Amino acid sequence: MDYFDSIIYGFQVTFHPVNFLFCGIGVLVGTLVGVLPGIGPAGAMAILLPATFQFSPTATMILLAGIYYGVQYGGSTTSILVRIPGEASTIITCIDGHEMARNGRAGPALGIAACGSFIAGTIANLGLMLVAIPLAHAALKLGPPEYFALMCTGLVIVTYLAQGSVLKAVMMALLGIILGSIGLDLITGLPRFTFGINELTDGVGIVPLVMGLFGISEILHNLEGSLQRSVFKTRIGSLWPSLKDWMQAKWAILRGSVIGFVLGILPGGGAVISPFVAYAVEKKVSKHPEKFGTGAIEGVASPEAANNAAAGASLIPLLSLGIPPNPIMAIFFSALIIHGIQPGPLLIREHPDLFWGLVASLYLGNGLLLVLNLPLIGMWVKVLEIPYKVLFPLILLFCLIGAYSMNNVVFDLYVMIFFGVVGYAMRKFGYEGAPLVLAFVLGPMLENSLRQSLLISQGSFLIFVTRPISAIALGFAFLLLLSNIFPYLRMRRRQYRQFEE
Amino acid sequence: MKTLDKTSSLFWLLVSIAVFVESFRLGVGTLQNPGRGFMTLGASGILGILCLVLFLQTSLRKDGDERKHILAGSFPKSVLLVLAALAVYSRVMPTLGYLISTFLLMAFLFWVLERRRIPLVLASSVAATLVTYLVFSKWLNCQFPEGLLGF
Repeated sequence: MDYFDSIIYGFQVTFHPVNFLFCGIGVLVGTLVGVLPGIGPAGAMAILLPATFQFSPTATMILLAGIYYGVQYGGSTTSILVRIPGEASTIITCIDGHEMARNGRAGPALGIAACGSFIAGTIANLGLMLVAIPLAHAALKLGPPEYFALMCTGLVIVTYLAQGSVLKAVMMALLGIILGSIGLDLITGLPRFTFGINELTDGVGIVPLVMGLFGISEILHNLEGSLQRSVFKTRIGSLWPSLKDWMQAKWAILRGSVIGFVLGILPGGGAVISPFVAYAVEKKVSKHPEKFGTGAIEGVASPEAANNAAAGASLIPLLSLGIPPNPIMAIFFSALIIHGIQPGPLLIREHPDLFWGLVASLYLGNGLLLVLNLPLIGMWVKVLEIPYKVLFPLILLFCLIGAYSMNNVVFDLYVMIFFGVVGYAMRKFGYEGAPLVLAFVLGPMLENSLRQSLLISQGSFLIFVTRPISAIALGFAFLLLLSNIFPYLRMRRRQYRQFEE
Repeated sequence: MKTLDKTSSLFWLLVSIAVFVESFRLGVGTLQNPGRGFMTLGASGILGILCLVLFLQTSLRKDGDERKHILAGSFPKSVLLVLAALAVYSRVMPTLGYLISTFLLMAFLFWVLERRRIPLVLASSVAATLVTYLVFSKWLNCQFPEGLLGF
């Protein structure tokens, strides 16, 4: 099948009633999650994951992708109207987006954010189609040493891009590897670190872990203060940007799309880092950089395009290499494993319905978000006005249901509560959960690759430096750990801290 | 932050030592044939070294020790209450069943933490319990415990 036939086939899969419904539910739930504080995309996906067991893997992936895309849209609404980013990926949109709202231009700000996201999402989908298949073919030639090196590099990049201390992020990644090793040893089949608890024989579940670290800890953190949010009272007016707005924003959208796509493929980058880089680039190339921060439409269009393009691009390493580049993709990875599908180079060949259905659903989801969300912005604003004290018991209940229904065992609830407390303490002590979750998922694969590599080389670590791809990947990771070679990333971390303060 | 970093680095150091010792017990194997504890031995070893680095780095840092306590500020009893409620819920759900235990949990959270009026608390709790039961149990076929009372 060529690309055209394949995408037609993908649309046939996507327009199956169940898949279509899941796509719609996904984008709506994603937007809601993006609007609401206290539950991020990882938590929302984890909650809904057990409910998808009776449906096909394709429907499940379409639902998860819809949530991921929807979150990017929803987050921008809160950034523009409330100056509280619903998600980390929309932090930078606060600056010019909220200024536009204060200047009476909330409508065009929301409109350009939605349209820019749509265009960027479409560009990213095209890129996904064109890049994933050749990459999957190339990945068939990779052996355990290369996989080990690529996963190490991914983990190092994730820790390097941590918002706080890199040292603490590396510590959390190591802890994630240790947690990932709980359960049966892959080679000997004997248990380890189970402490005689039968429920731990299968290891710690990703759903209770993610729900605890991100969901419960976030709720506990929010309970500390009164989360007062005031929606900026302004007439939203026409959402459609004027021709002048389009002329100002068109190159910003394109540049944001390209930056988001490239950074989205890299491990750790994803939708969080790319808006910062896109904003910085846009300010650099602008003829009027002084306008940034006062309500420049390019300052909304570029980061919004970047985060959506990155969200689409981050599917590439997962679907073609089988390596999740960030914690959200780790949930995707776990979903595929739960449904009995091994992510990796053979996925596209063995499950074309899943791959092409997912790609087509991204086009559909983008369109649905644009068609549904622009008219529904008034409703999302109303959602923003619901007091947090009403929301948090419901979010807690969803977390409990999600954790329990994974395996129908109460033990998972205890695991979730335990990691909720751990996540809460980690926040207090300045540790991040993202490297831990990614390492937790990659840990077993990392161990398997390492042990297989050592078996192949009869115990020689030289195998990692005598094979070009692994040598380059590990060399890059080593350099990255040793020095801060990308000054702009350092700057971005500083900017993030300043913004947070 | 200095105190927090020192405390946390010591805590993780203890964790890494425990994992290191257990990895040895599980069997490290050889380089030609790595054992069950091979990977965790390496991970815990590096973790331990990094904990020491963090501890030393923090100790040598010149910024003032602000003695920030993790319970400082508005660490509220609501956090403890929520955690206690979750633990009790997990304990009693298999016995009482989903409907009763969830209703009690919701009522507790709505009433104790929000101080809403009783009729509103009861109505909200019943609605939350029934809607989630119908959606997850009836529609999505999640299997919730029925409990002693059979519902």
